[in-house]
Amino acid sequence: MAVLEVDNLGIRFGGLQALEAVTFKAEEYEIVGLMGPNGAGKTTAFNCITGLYEPTTGTVSYRGRDVTSLRSDQRAALGIGRTFQQVGLVRTMTVLQNLLTAQHARIRYSAGEGMFGAPTSVTEERALERRAMEVLDFMDLTHLANTKLAGLPYGTLKMVEASAVLATDPDLLLLDEPSAGMSPEESHEFGELLLDIRRTLGVTIVMIEHHVPMVVGVCDYIYVLNFGRLLAEGLPKDIQSHPEVISAYFGEEDTYGVA
Amino acid sequence: MAIDTTSETVELPAPAREAAEASAPSTFRPSAIGWARRYAVAGGLVLFVFALPVLVPDEASANLIALAAIYACVALSMNVLTGYLGQLSLGHQAFYGIGAFVSATVVTSFTLPFGAGLVAGALSGAVAALILGGVALRIRGLYLAIVTLAYGLLAENSLFLIRSLTGGGAGVVANRPTGFTSNRAYAYVCLGVLALLFAFDWRLLKSKAGRAIQAIRDDEKVAASFGINITGYKLLAFVLSGIYAGLAGALFAHQLGNVVAAPFNLTLALTFVLMTVVGGLGNRVGVIIGGAFFATIDTILELIHGVVIDAAELANVELGEGIDPVLAPVIGAALLVLTLIRAPGGIGQQISPIQNWIRGGRFDIHSMHDKTAALGGAGDGRS
Repeated sequence: MAVLEVDNLGIRFGGLQALEAVTFKAEEYEIVGLMGPNGAGKTTAFNCITGLYEPTTGTVSYRGRDVTSLRSDQRAALGIGRTFQQVGLVRTMTVLQNLLTAQHARIRYSAGEGMFGAPTSVTEERALERRAMEVLDFMDLTHLANTKLAGLPYGTLKMVEASAVLATDPDLLLLDEPSAGMSPEESHEFGELLLDIRRTLGVTIVMIEHHVPMVVGVCDYIYVLNFGRLLAEGLPKDIQSHPEVISAYFGEEDTYGVA
Repeated sequence: MAIDTTSETVELPAPAREAAEASAPSTFRPSAIGWARRYAVAGGLVLFVFALPVLVPDEASANLIALAAIYACVALSMNVLTGYLGQLSLGHQAFYGIGAFVSATVVTSFTLPFGAGLVAGALSGAVAALILGGVALRIRGLYLAIVTLAYGLLAENSLFLIRSLTGGGAGVVANRPTGFTSNRAYAYVCLGVLALLFAFDWRLLKSKAGRAIQAIRDDEKVAASFGINITGYKLLAFVLSGIYAGLAGALFAHQLGNVVAAPFNLTLALTFVLMTVVGGLGNRVGVIIGGAFFATIDTILELIHGVVIDAAELANVELGEGIDPVLAPVIGAALLVLTLIRAPGGIGQQISPIQNWIRGGRFDIHSMHDKTAALGGAGDGRS
């Protein structure tokens, strides 16, 4: 059974058909790449999967369960974690507080127990903090635990965001342009880190990514979107030389060929 | 590919490393004597506040302490909605007034004990806030602020004018509990409720509900991606704010002894906003100081005026009589402007070096200029 199955997904914003009949899936333990030029509908697809948008047609299934009608937070609680293009973190909190907030759905004590300071909540808060520090340790960010987000450079914020989404204890990880703003070396290191995350935590990953060497180096399978439709799919090496993909990214060859 | 072979742990990308060096790791831990000093100062401050009703010279001043504690409760209420959830409320006189009338009615008409009045006041505030919270699920920001304004005016101009509920001009009698009828004793009741709310609010922010509410303030999409139920926690913030305000209203009713509709007007709602912003949004201690200040400003001005008059009499200078009623609002407005321009974190920002020190940090006067302290940060910098 596939971890994520998107079937015949379509969404329309007024006159714009942002997605049409998009079907793809991610099998257990796979790293799936979602590529395509700007405006192809990649982030829109993510928003449909996580429940921020309600698709006009089609279904989203997670481990065989149709989650199309669930709220965003319910899907997150099931184990669908995501990052955002514009860094999905709580800006006014410290790094550690962000990781504590991210563990929200895993907390066993009730909101009331927390507010009245029940002993169970106090004990669990300590456990949450330990776990947050473990994640920061894994990501080599321990030294930033009590730092406020304001003023941290973009690349670091992306790493903190990745830590926060790991703290949600995801089973399926959706990464929206994780290496944006990174240098080639950094994105290479990030690719290694992704493989490490999969090895250590056994998660399935779907990522939107433009950085071709990283996609090719890390992904097991790639889907290419263009104008809201699925343009191509296949193994990284096939996608690299796929004529339609090349024309979608660089334009038609004969546009330049014919004078 | 370039791998840095000089350091043992390579994974960290360059920007993260730079940031690490820029912000020195906070490894500072105070010594045993340092902690003793901190506890002594914190304990001394608490003791001072609780000694106030005894320290003040007369019963009238003790009544002022009670009012300061009541306003501080309202400030905590405003802080939940405006500071933590980030939603401006211009209709808080509604919750406050409803709490006051319900408590007075429960105690006087139903002859139930004072405690039941407080609970009923708190619950009625919660219900009133829950109704407003329902609207908040559909709109937010400026538009919701307008709705809160309308909500407050609606309560003020219709609900509070129903004679059978509020007793018209005669008002509703609201007696104080037996044993606490003196102003000094009643001030302790108010301070006690304030202390309870303070502790509750502290636990709120240290637990998942507080974090969820603050996450929603910053970004609802991100909050949802962390598994936070946006609807539930928004309503919770409204309900908590309503409970705090309803409790404060109940205390206010019994402080007066006879509660009429007149004080629960828009001016009061604006004062609530003013004292919370000047106190420092998101900073628990800051808003309490702000509330206490705005509760007492009129009396303090009169006191100063009295001294000035006496001095003038001694010097044989003729002065006008009575204090100009415009003076207090002008001071309030000036403080608001100063806050917005100089210190968006309000009083909370000014006292943050002391707060950080008491929490076990180094005393660093420059942390006062930390811009990020403006919202939420100052009140809970360290976790």
